Amino acid sequence: MVEEAGAIVAAESGRGDAISVSGLVRGYGKVAVLEGLDMRVESGSIYGLLGPSGCGKTTLLKVLLGRLVPAAGRVTVLSSTPGSPGSRVPGGAVGYSPQELALYEDLSIRETFLFHGRLHGMAAEKIRARESWLIEFLDLPEPTRQVVKMSGGQKRRVSLAIALLHEPELLLLDEPTVGVDPELRARVWDHLQTISREGVTIIITTHYIDEAGKADRVGMMRNGVLLAEDSPTAVMESQSASSLEEAFLALCRRDSKEVPE
Amino acid sequence: MNLGRIHAIAARKFASLRRDKRMLGFIVIMPAIQILLFGIAIGGAPTGLDFAVVDEGPAGLGEVIIEELDASESMVLHTEYESISAARADIVSGELWGALHIHPNGTMELMLDNSNQQVSQTIIVEVRDALRAAVQAQGSSLPLEISEPIYGDKDPAFIDFLAPGIMTMVCFMFSLILTTMAFVGERYDGTLDRVFAAGTRPSEVLLGHLAAFTTILIGQVTVVILIATYGFDITIEGRVWLLFALGMLLGWSAMCFGLFVSSKANSEFQAMQMNMPVMFPVMLLSGILWPVQALPSWLQPFAWIMPTTWTAEAFRSIMIRGWGLEDTGIQLAFLFNAGFAVFALFIASRSLKVRE
Repeated sequence: MVEEAGAIVAAESGRGDAISVSGLVRGYGKVAVLEGLDMRVESGSIYGLLGPSGCGKTTLLKVLLGRLVPAAGRVTVLSSTPGSPGSRVPGGAVGYSPQELALYEDLSIRETFLFHGRLHGMAAEKIRARESWLIEFLDLPEPTRQVVKMSGGQKRRVSLAIALLHEPELLLLDEPTVGVDPELRARVWDHLQTISREGVTIIITTHYIDEAGKADRVGMMRNGVLLAEDSPTAVMESQSASSLEEAFLALCRRDSKEVPE
Repeated sequence: MNLGRIHAIAARKFASLRRDKRMLGFIVIMPAIQILLFGIAIGGAPTGLDFAVVDEGPAGLGEVIIEELDASESMVLHTEYESISAARADIVSGELWGALHIHPNGTMELMLDNSNQQVSQTIIVEVRDALRAAVQAQGSSLPLEISEPIYGDKDPAFIDFLAPGIMTMVCFMFSLILTTMAFVGERYDGTLDRVFAAGTRPSEVLLGHLAAFTTILIGQVTVVILIATYGFDITIEGRVWLLFALGMLLGWSAMCFGLFVSSKANSEFQAMQMNMPVMFPVMLLSGILWPVQALPSWLQPFAWIMPTTWTAEAFRSIMIRGWGLEDTGIQLAFLFNAGFAVFALFIASRSLKVRE
């Protein structure tokens, strides 16, 4: 029965959904943050989640990670409820890079990788191999450099590297490109596109709205709901906009008119 | 429970601890200083107390008493007073702490400035001993003879009572301070979120921290026992390994409680504040500085919910009485500490729970 339902969804989307959310409600105490959010992320796609700070992006990611339990609604991540027994989320299936740097400043790059690698049960040689690759790819300083002695951009890249370290099949990246130089940012996007073709599903939130044009789909989020969810070109066309930025502005204006405060 | 993850967290925390030299100095040197200061300042017998003997008694009696008192370190003896009224006047004016008047018929009167209990106690004990010597010199004895004590010294020093208490307090307090800051920051800077995203359980986070802190605890307990034994020349009648084991267990219960505080506090400042209402009852109510038996009876049950009360009592039994694990009190101290640690760890992991 369950398999059958999954097959239908897979048939509809072609690849199946890595994440599906319907009617998600979640707040903190009396403050409502997510108010009936629906969202669908295809397996092996890049999903750009856009919205101003405070719109609920981080709360949504924490629900997907099983850190926050929904007040209402259904959440399925990699075909199970996050945090339920047997679910691989949270766990090795997911790589998470929080909005904060979330680094232990006194550790070196090597120790940082060793710590997170061990958390995922990776063998020492495997961690070392990934270390060499990530340092090369993300243009990081020597592995013995302490995090505290790095620049903001370097720290941001180490933070991203941790999410990529164990080669998870789902990446949740909260603002991974803040303060990263444009050339490297382009390289990161290239890499994300490469691994998504290999089947990795990626949700990425970003302030650089136009950057999200490289995503397969974008979700424009405001006040705890998605105003639009489609491919970047489709979103722009629907708003007769020439950029994602413009499309988002148009959507926001309409949203404000519909729901007068 | 995943041992690999516990190991990862312990190794990471240990690397941080080892790198923080100031912190390391604080947690090894501070307990040493604290226990040294306590031992030096509190519990020593007062010395240089001015005391007069006015001897109008029968020959032989006064001489022995004066000789005995003169030999005492506590006293500066004055025998030049012609009359007891002159000595009394000097007590009134604060020149003397007390005077002993030996009447012509051989009876005696002790006059004291009783404003300082410790001083008076010292004088009374000295006079009692001198009197016993004098009576023995005359070939008789006092109607009350104090036999060799079953436990402890014939003249117990306050430091013998105090040292086990201070050891208890130092083991507890520094373990608590050490752990309350453990992951206050981590809860807010996203690092703990990431650890949880890797599928780590709160209990694994707690046990990992506990394992890293245990390396420091071993050093702390060793330092504390070494200073108590060699620094103050306190004889330990019982087994040292038993002291060590109980000290470790107390440290663990303090650490588990500290981890609980750490899981609740919103900032490091708040964590420090939350420690205050714990430290004072521990210091004052658990028989560390003064016997629990001296507490009002309604307060006594409260003293026994603190692991420090059980530990201080057991430390005394081990150090002074030389008792071992066969004693129920010591068994209970081990059990209570273990239970307290497990309970604190349980509520800490509840408070740190992954899903909200």
